[in-house]
Amino acid sequence: MTIAVCLKWINASGQTDIDDDRFMGFSYADQAALEYALRVAENTNDEVIVVTAGPVGAEAVLRDAIARGAQRAVRIDIDRSHDSAVIAQAIAQAVSHCSLIWCGDYSSDRGSGSVPAFIAAQLSFAQALGLVDIVLPTGAQSPITALRRLDGGRREQLEIRGQAVISVEGSTARLRRASLKGSMAANKQVIEIVTVNQVAVETPPTRAYRPRARAVAAPVGNSALDRVRQITDTSTAKGHGETVHLEPREAAELIVSKLREWGYQS
Amino acid sequence: MTDTDIIVVGAGPAGSCAAIAAAKAGKRVVLIERGPFPGSKNMYGGVIYPRILDELIPDWFEHAPIQRWIVRRSTMLLSDTGALNIDYRSNAWGQAPYNGATAYRPDFDNWLAQQAVAAGAELICSTTVTGLLRDAQGRINGITTDRPDGDLTASVVIACDGVNSFIAKEAGLYKAVDASNYTLGVKETLSLPKSVIDERFGVRDNQGVDIEILGGTSGVNGGGFIYTNLDTIAVGVVLKLPKLSAQKKRPEEIIAELKRHPAIAPLIEGAEVIEYSAHLIPEAGLDMMPKMVADGLLVAGDAAALCLAAGIWLEGVNFAMASGMYAGQSAAQAMTAGNTTAAGLQTYTKKLNETFVLKDHKKLRKIPHLVLSDRVQHKYPGFVTGIVERMFRVENPHPKPGVRRILREERKKAGISLMDLVRDALTGLKGFG
Amino acid sequence: MSLESLRAANNIERDTTWAELSFQERIDTAEFRIHERAHITVNGDSCRGCTTRECVVACPANLFVPTSDGGILFNYENCFECGTCYMVCNEAGAITWTYPEGGYGIVFHRT
Ligand SMILES: Cc1cc2nc3c(=O)[nH]c(=O)nc-3n(C[C@H](O)[C@H](O)[C@H](O)COP(=O)(O)OP(=O)(O)OC[C@H]3O[C@@H](n4cnc5c(N)ncnc54)[C@H](O)[C@@H]3O)c2cc1C
Ligand code: SF4
Ligand code: SF4
Repeated sequence: MTIAVCLKWINASGQTDIDDDRFMGFSYADQAALEYALRVAENTNDEVIVVTAGPVGAEAVLRDAIARGAQRAVRIDIDRSHDSAVIAQAIAQAVSHCSLIWCGDYSSDRGSGSVPAFIAAQLSFAQALGLVDIVLPTGAQSPITALRRLDGGRREQLEIRGQAVISVEGSTARLRRASLKGSMAANKQVIEIVTVNQVAVETPPTRAYRPRARAVAAPVGNSALDRVRQITDTSTAKGHGETVHLEPREAAELIVSKLREWGYQS
Repeated sequence: MTDTDIIVVGAGPAGSCAAIAAAKAGKRVVLIERGPFPGSKNMYGGVIYPRILDELIPDWFEHAPIQRWIVRRSTMLLSDTGALNIDYRSNAWGQAPYNGATAYRPDFDNWLAQQAVAAGAELICSTTVTGLLRDAQGRINGITTDRPDGDLTASVVIACDGVNSFIAKEAGLYKAVDASNYTLGVKETLSLPKSVIDERFGVRDNQGVDIEILGGTSGVNGGGFIYTNLDTIAVGVVLKLPKLSAQKKRPEEIIAELKRHPAIAPLIEGAEVIEYSAHLIPEAGLDMMPKMVADGLLVAGDAAALCLAAGIWLEGVNFAMASGMYAGQSAAQAMTAGNTTAAGLQTYTKKLNETFVLKDHKKLRKIPHLVLSDRVQHKYPGFVTGIVERMFRVENPHPKPGVRRILREERKKAGISLMDLVRDALTGLKGFG
Repeated sequence: MSLESLRAANNIERDTTWAELSFQERIDTAEFRIHERAHITVNGDSCRGCTTRECVVACPANLFVPTSDGGILFNYENCFECGTCYMVCNEAGAITWTYPEGGYGIVFHRT
């Protein structure tokens, strides 16, 4: 079995626009993903393959990962300005033979966190995204159990078996240091290069998001203060909150109809 | 069998030149740097004299990441309100074979280290060397690092780990460390549009200016500097350590006061601080130099206190590059000859003695002390600017006073005895002449 | 309004023509990659007997802060790794000084 880790070459000094090899690295989230992959592989004797999509300079992060224990490295030679779906498709092709694909939940250079989801969609793998806590399998057959962050402080517990794309948050694991000999060997590592000539991804036509106009009545009141209060006061309930208990299908329908009513959907 | 032939600790100018020289001599070289990339830990004033690179990288000036070529050198003497400026301009310095150049160290050191890689050395960054390994006879034969599985053995270790050199100290090559041999350099990198810099400093294209300043350090013994980069200016001060705390003035306050001086303020008006930095300088030259050779070990650059800091000269990078190169060559020779004991490595000290590296130091031996002495620091700037002020002040209807009278009166006002003046003049003449 | 007239209107002397920085703003111009291990530690007990307080004035990063009870509060995070503090300190054992883990600490950009 092979475990893949996707690493994005980003500016480690926190600047988003400067591509300067000296200041580049990979995000804490990617570091955590690599650490988990290495831990899983230690238990199962799997091979770890690290993948990045970017120019020659990006090979530095691959060598770094090799130094820390990964076995193979692939660089996808592709312009990083492509959107996430295109990048994900290219990565998916390179890692389609892998069983587990680890990613950081999103990169710190204004990443949207969508690449892992696109990869899962491309490969029809299960996905477990945005994990905050992970317990690695104890035996060959046991699953990875994990906690996923939901809105409002809630957590979802997941069991991951079989082929899956997993993305983790940066705080979940501290990446091990490379050994000195590991670093020296990594300098000599051969990096496989995949060129992507034709990127055939259907990206749906997009247009700027523009909610429909909706009439809002002018506030009424005798004094200006009253009118301002009317618009801004949150101390009294405006009455939109509503909890319903429905089957998933009806719940979805209700949500869509409400979104229409409020102008978010046409 | 050792892991490698030669280990170079520190990828500053000394380390990279040592690595280039040793790799070119056909040795296996590992160059270890604690920063995430070479130059990331290194700060200096701003001017490099790279001619020594001719030997290792003949076409260096076509590739080195240079900001501006120095065509104007000024020495400024500041009193509280006045300034005497001795300014020399040579446009010839702006063309091959060039003289000095401003460059950012994170650029320059990184480039130089890449030249070492191109020559065949192996560069390992993000790794701090923590100590030395010795064989049964006590000969140094490798290093320990802060990495897991981090020991590395070699025939020769070259310590180019800069001013704090814990390697040279661990090897017992230094006498007790005395703070008064060091100065603290602090600087601000200030951003200004290129066109504004060109106009204010009277230069164009990639011509640059180097200003060394005496006085203007708020009563703390030291000096100041201003260097032009393409679209930034480096303004900094160099401060004698033990005096610093006695004056109860913090380093950044001293820079701020220098920036407020009427002769400096117009040069930097409207500039924004984009980086603040600090670093030590081994200032005392020959008087503080350690032994530079031990069994299996050579020391080069600031680690060996080879920086030349003598008032109007502040040169360390060229001394580091030269000593590093000689260390790399000597280490390779000693290995080939099969003797890497201290005796086998002595060609290094010989080379240092024969070249500018130690010749300049011997010549200028007394200058650092003279320049940092209380008289030169606190009395002479006022004395000299006082003389010039009166020579050029027209106080009609009074006739001009005679120069001799001005000299005598200003000397008394500054509180300098004739004896001291003569003595300092002689030291200066002997040192500089 | 031109800089010149602004200055005149506000009675600002010509010699403060750049923005004075707070120390925090100054230190924020430098990049520090912080490691969880403190590479320098200060033994407050040794400092209590120290009258010179050299470090407080000399540390270019202003990391030594005297406390009201005669001790020293020290933060290692924004350190230039210059070595000034251990050089000027006369109290044996007050400062334990090492370099940070490789790859961490100060990262200069345009120095
Ligand atoms: C304020 C100031 C102004 C100066 N102005 C000038 C000037 O205008 N012109 C000039 O020529 N010189 C100038 N100098 C002097 C010059 O900077 C030095 O002489 C020169 O940098 C010395 O080079 P080096 O290679 O010996 O040491 P460094 O440049 O200090 O390099 C040492 C290297 O070793 C690394 N290192 C240290 N310890 C370890 C370890 N344990 N493990 C791994 N790596 C380690 C460091 O990270 C660093 O990269 C100035 C210095 C200062 C402080
Ligand atoms: S660190 Fe040293 S100089 Fe600073 S207060 Fe403590 S004893 Fe004094
Ligand atoms: S090494 Fe320098 S910057 Fe760091 S604490 Fe000591 S004096 Fe301050």
